[in-house]
Amino acid sequence: MNEAATHPGRSGDAGDERGTTNRGYAIGLARAAGGAIIFSLPLLMTMEMWFLGFYIDRPRLFLFLIVNFGLLVVLSRFVGFEQTSTWSDDVLDAFAAYGVAVIVSAAVLALFGILTPGMPRDEIVGKIAVQSVPASFGAMLARQQMSGDRKHEDQDEVERKAGYAGQLFLMTAGALFLAFNVAPTEEMILIGFKMTPWHAIGLVLLSILLLHAFVYTVGFAGQEDMGGEGGFRSSFVRYTIAGYGIALLVSFYVLWTFGRTDGTDPGQIASMTAVLAFPGAIGAAIARLVV
Amino acid sequence: MGGRDRKQSLADRTPALEWIASSLGLLLTLGVLGSIGWEAVKGGNGRPPAIEVTVEGVTPIASGYVVEVRAHNRSAATAAAVQIEGELDKGGEPVTSTASIDYVPGKSDRRAGLFFADDPRAYPLELRAVGYAKP
Repeated sequence: MNEAATHPGRSGDAGDERGTTNRGYAIGLARAAGGAIIFSLPLLMTMEMWFLGFYIDRPRLFLFLIVNFGLLVVLSRFVGFEQTSTWSDDVLDAFAAYGVAVIVSAAVLALFGILTPGMPRDEIVGKIAVQSVPASFGAMLARQQMSGDRKHEDQDEVERKAGYAGQLFLMTAGALFLAFNVAPTEEMILIGFKMTPWHAIGLVLLSILLLHAFVYTVGFAGQEDMGGEGGFRSSFVRYTIAGYGIALLVSFYVLWTFGRTDGTDPGQIASMTAVLAFPGAIGAAIARLVV
Repeated sequence: MGGRDRKQSLADRTPALEWIASSLGLLLTLGVLGSIGWEAVKGGNGRPPAIEVTVEGVTPIASGYVVEVRAHNRSAATAAAVQIEGELDKGGEPVTSTASIDYVPGKSDRRAGLFFADDPRAYPLELRAVGYAKP
């Protein structure tokens, strides 16, 4: 009551009230668990992901988990399974999403018989930690995907307030999610080996073209003030090229995390990065649709 | 006239972040295209994988010794399913151990290990790549 009295502007919002009750929070957590399963199921059923659990370089895994947590905190501001107003709320939400992700990953892996009591603790922790990354994304996005209680105008407003930096962030999150989804499989590097450099160049150009098609047709927040004539060039440089740069950086980072770049020729790394940046660019492009 | 004003203001209010993100994107895109394009022009295609195997180190373990080896591919062509063989010549019957490496990408290194019961430092050890498959 006092809360409503001191924030009269928020008292009428049903979503906010529900978000603060225990029941509402429990519903949010249940949705998060659902989202975690949906987003991580393909990877939970990928053999390479289980193997990564024991061979992935520990400092790199640790860094990756920190980066992921940072993304979750910022993502919470955009979507989150709870409507947040302060950064400490976002950090709490990120922890909650992460917790849900760890529990879901551990439960599903145990059910598949991939985690057994006889395994060394290191291996169990590694396997769950790797899987918790896509699962935590799902947990965080669940609210947006599974609940209808947030109006799209609100969403656009949030994005617009975040501006260009926010768009870059969304592209980074989208690129990371989609790149991470395909990066663990052997097919990813095999494609790189099968392609000639000409194929790779074609793939780079196609990635940029598709990314731009998405940017141009789907539209990003704040794009409308670009004006008619300069619109194409402006959005190409501001969003498409910047977005593809993000896709390349994210792809390289994921490859490095998985140890694919170790002892590898820079030319080979460039073509591997180009392969992974293809889903990365698509992820960057559709981030706004998903989020 | 109105159009010119807008153009000017657009240039004026382009924030630093946009410059940084766009130029970084452009730089990375050109870098990747350049690097792959260089490979394309330079060629090197057609030359088969050439794999050299060298000893990285020998470590005693409970059941004998492990020889860590490094397979280096001198060619630009990637080799898959690379078989590595080490032959320890103790006089009499030579002892062989084998390992397989999924991929040795062109001009890159991959590591593997061979187990021996006897100390590989005490006898002549011959290492070689036995075969590969085209990926």
